[in-house]
Amino acid sequence: MVTDLATKAELVKLARTLDLPTEDLRFAATLDQHQIRRLRERVVAALYDEHRTVFQRVATITTLLPTPVNVRIALRAFTPYLAARIAGEMAPDKAAELADRMPVDYLAEASPHLDPRRAVALVARMRPDRAVAVVLELVVRGEYVTLGRLLDAATSWLVREVVTVISEDALLRIAFYAESDDQLTRTVALLPDDRLRRVVAHALDEPTDLHAVALSVIDRLTDDALRGRLAGYAAEADDRTLTTLLHSAVAEGALGQLGRAVAAMDAPARRRVLALPAIGGRLSELLRRG
Amino acid sequence: MMRGDLREVLRRRLGADAGLLDSLSERDLTELHDALRAARRRQSRALATATDEAMRQMPALVRASVARFVGR
Repeated sequence: MVTDLATKAELVKLARTLDLPTEDLRFAATLDQHQIRRLRERVVAALYDEHRTVFQRVATITTLLPTPVNVRIALRAFTPYLAARIAGEMAPDKAAELADRMPVDYLAEASPHLDPRRAVALVARMRPDRAVAVVLELVVRGEYVTLGRLLDAATSWLVREVVTVISEDALLRIAFYAESDDQLTRTVALLPDDRLRRVVAHALDEPTDLHAVALSVIDRLTDDALRGRLAGYAAEADDRTLTTLLHSAVAEGALGQLGRAVAAMDAPARRRVLALPAIGGRLSELLRRG
Repeated sequence: MMRGDLREVLRRRLGADAGLLDSLSERDLTELHDALRAARRRQSRALATATDEAMRQMPALVRASVARFVGR
């Protein structure tokens, strides 16, 4: 049903918002990625605004109490889910002040339930070392959709701290769910060359489930030179790996992304890829058509 | 529910977005409506459970005041 990778990522996010498996989103089959995103934003607003008044009242109470008392009450009485909804109604500075004093596990449990429209402002105000700890816990929990959303709040410092310790696999999966192409590009640009090379090499490894993810991430980069560099790293792979990549691209409907990645390579890399028997014919035609 | 009604209900819930709801078929609109309704129900249940638990944890002395304040 779905052939476009960016659409696939958007469907996963919408399914998550509605708390449904993606197979149950047949109603969105005719929508493109931009329409699904708009629909998700509308659904988020409808769901998060529905009980807002109550949370605003609780948030008001927190302004009357000292932070340590608020933390004690929250940890004793509020589930992480409830705390996340209340935090969304607090001033971001105040919410961050509380978050800085709460256990990392509690914050990681709460993070997926934060109002996406307010999460970035809160995380951006947290103490950087605490934010790193929560991000690492979310990686352990495989919360890639949440992390992709929170990427917009990531400072250069936070990105550098996190990428030194998380796996290539996690980096790719978080990048796949990034909300903003510009922020994704800025983040990728912060990674050192050798790390980027390892990320691309990992994506091309077996099993092939990360092939399409990597093609989608490279395609979303808004910096042509950076896109060319990553595509060039892929071109360093052996013939068999590149042929498998082509097969994955066909299977996932990602030939367009593959074609644009090849077009972004420097001339020697592009020549080498197009000279491969299994790839050259299909991609040359695609590149000729633009 | 008729298609026009369903579209109107969804428009009220999700806000007007030119082209978005109009591009969905009757069946799509019904499925979207059902998915949204189920999500709202699940959310209400989860919030009610979490709020009840929060109330249970409150000291008895302040429980009634807090309940009134949050409209429970």
